[in-house]
Amino acid sequence: MLLAGGQGSRLYCLTQDTAKPAVPFGGKYRIIDFPLSNCVNSGIDTVGVLTQYQPLELNDYIGNGQPWDLNRNWGGAHILPPYTQSKTESWYKGTANAIYQNIPFVDRYNPEYVVILSGDHIYKMDYNKMLKFHKEKGSECTIAVMPVSMDEATRMGIMSTDDNDAIIDFEEKPKKPKSNLASMGVYIFTWAALKQYLIDDEADPKSENDFGKNIIPAFLRDGRPMFAYAFEGYWKDVGTLESLWDANMDLLDPTDPINMRDSTFRIYARNYASPATRIDPGAKVSNSFVAEGCIIRGSVEHSVLYTGCEVEEGAIVVGAVVMPNTVVRKGANISYAIVGEGCVIEEGVKIGERPENCPNEDWGITVVGHKKTLPAGSVIRPKEIV
Amino acid sequence: MNMTGIIFSELYAGELGTFTYDRNMAAIPFGGRYRLVDFVLSNMVNSGITNVGVLATQHYHSLMDHLNNAQQYDLNRKNGGLQLLPPFATENVGANNRGKLDDLRNALDYLETITTTPYVLLADAYVVCNIDYRPALEAHIASGCDITMLATLEEEPSEGNYVSVMRADAGHRVTSYALDCTAKPGDYASMGHMIISRELLINVIRDYTSRGIYDFLRDFIQHEFNRGRLSINLYQVDDVVLRIRNVNEYFHSSLSIIDSAVGTPLFRGDRPIFTRVTDEVPCYYGVESEISSCVIADGCIIEGKAENCVFSRGVKIGKGATLKNCVIMQGSVVGEGASLENVVVDKWVTVTNGAQLKGLVSNPVVIRKGVTV
Repeated sequence: MLLAGGQGSRLYCLTQDTAKPAVPFGGKYRIIDFPLSNCVNSGIDTVGVLTQYQPLELNDYIGNGQPWDLNRNWGGAHILPPYTQSKTESWYKGTANAIYQNIPFVDRYNPEYVVILSGDHIYKMDYNKMLKFHKEKGSECTIAVMPVSMDEATRMGIMSTDDNDAIIDFEEKPKKPKSNLASMGVYIFTWAALKQYLIDDEADPKSENDFGKNIIPAFLRDGRPMFAYAFEGYWKDVGTLESLWDANMDLLDPTDPINMRDSTFRIYARNYASPATRIDPGAKVSNSFVAEGCIIRGSVEHSVLYTGCEVEEGAIVVGAVVMPNTVVRKGANISYAIVGEGCVIEEGVKIGERPENCPNEDWGITVVGHKKTLPAGSVIRPKEIV
Repeated sequence: MNMTGIIFSELYAGELGTFTYDRNMAAIPFGGRYRLVDFVLSNMVNSGITNVGVLATQHYHSLMDHLNNAQQYDLNRKNGGLQLLPPFATENVGANNRGKLDDLRNALDYLETITTTPYVLLADAYVVCNIDYRPALEAHIASGCDITMLATLEEEPSEGNYVSVMRADAGHRVTSYALDCTAKPGDYASMGHMIISRELLINVIRDYTSRGIYDFLRDFIQHEFNRGRLSINLYQVDDVVLRIRNVNEYFHSSLSIIDSAVGTPLFRGDRPIFTRVTDEVPCYYGVESEISSCVIADGCIIEGKAENCVFSRGVKIGKGATLKNCVIMQGSVVGEGASLENVVVDKWVTVTNGAQLKGLVSNPVVIRKGVTV
């Protein structure tokens, strides 16, 4: 069950008209491709995608699930929006309530286990290994965890475990973290147990109907078997503009930390029919990740160019994340920025600044939202969001 | 759409050397991420044709693999869609191709079932183009002719032979029809596309093959035309048309798409060319890469220097490698410090570190699939 209804308000203009999981990532992907592909690569053939905030683009993108091999006769990808019922109608009040409202969907497939995922992380993970762990430990609730720095720990859900990996304490965004094991937002539950807790949680009028705030603490309070599964590998929350930019830049790391090139564990995406990228005479492309359908005549360095972008003569793109179908006209200059989908950056526009040309306190990533046309000669300063 | 498409996937297979050792002509890779068949097939789809039969007689595994369930062309339809038409298991299987009518006989049952479409577009897959067949069909119907040939107007004397060369009057009515010859300026060269009524086609296939006659162009079209029993309308195509009839044409046509004058109209956004999706990651250009005038598909890792090259999916160019005028097909690796000029490298080839390969512009070196150089 993939929770894809979040607004992702910390991505500001990038999620104004679209849900966070539909935000483009890494040249040709969208964030949701990662958890969806993880499911498929883990042998999961039934995925419910719970949508609520601005679902149009997401519905369109997932379609019948074919790009992820999830167009199945039985199971496959299902979009699960909130719906009206005979007596009530309700939006998804919280993450737990979203699953609660879809108990009939899960019951149709009568699974022993359910994995609860969120659509805002970039990582490759075989959920099967985690399920094996879940079974071996006799767990009813297994939470994937990663060691993080103590500073980061104050912003995340933190688990304390005993020697047997059993969870003995859980704190949401603790001021003084007792451990550095952060929840990755990946939960495996034994369905029968979860179902009962969801029903009980719904009956409690004081509950916020949230996994982190209510369900997990309830499991812990009742002493149900709960274990932390330590994940090793790349995992990044791309819920902020800085982290989204960072994760894109990680694609340029020659050691390939995300392990994108592992052909036995591919990340699938909906593909649009674009031709191979054309690099014209006079262009310069170095240390960059460039998707198909681009036409490059200018200079592109340390950047990620998404499908169908065009960079005209004399334009300079450095340290930038340029989302699909954006046109950068002659002589425009984009430095250390995220530029949204379908923008037109007119001639001579200057977006952002290299860190070395700017006092530390004034410097930051510049962000241009989707479908913006920036008039010729305009200047967007560092840290600005338009 | 009241027209069915039939694609011939074999023509010129013999002239294309090692490219067609283990694939038929329609399955030859082109343009970084396509196979030749993608162009004709996408044109049909973009023209609203929803019934397409693909005739295949020899080593068509690669083609089948590529066409898959036709989902990428939106031809996985309940009604109509794409149909592969392999040979019937008769005494002819494995025999030399005796002519287009022999192939078409395999499509006879198919043609008889497509009763809703009165017209058939017969198209050879050796042509790379992006054209709309709808105005061609309208012109065919308006002309009242038996057949409409799609052709290009030749401005220069041709070096090689065309399948058919025509002259036409001001009303685009064909006045002379010659086979397998060169074209003079003002002549029309056929591009292997023609429109004919389904009924006439079925009658011709039945009648001619029953008498052991298999050459569609010579024995039917030219023979009947010369006796005044067949009228031919000419539909002039002014779009980019690249013919892939031999290794040299393959090499030059492949590199020609780098030029925006060819590449932009061929890959126009309103009429996309569809192909099989392989889920490769985007291309990575290394810190030391120097790329100029290249067409590059997904999944490549480019760390060397390249000028005027086409790289298919998953190609790796090592540090210090220098490539000029090269076509490198899917999954091939060019080692560090290698030097290649005027070379066509088929799929899954390894060019070892420091290797030097140099062909001529007029005669490129071709490395066959899977070998190590």
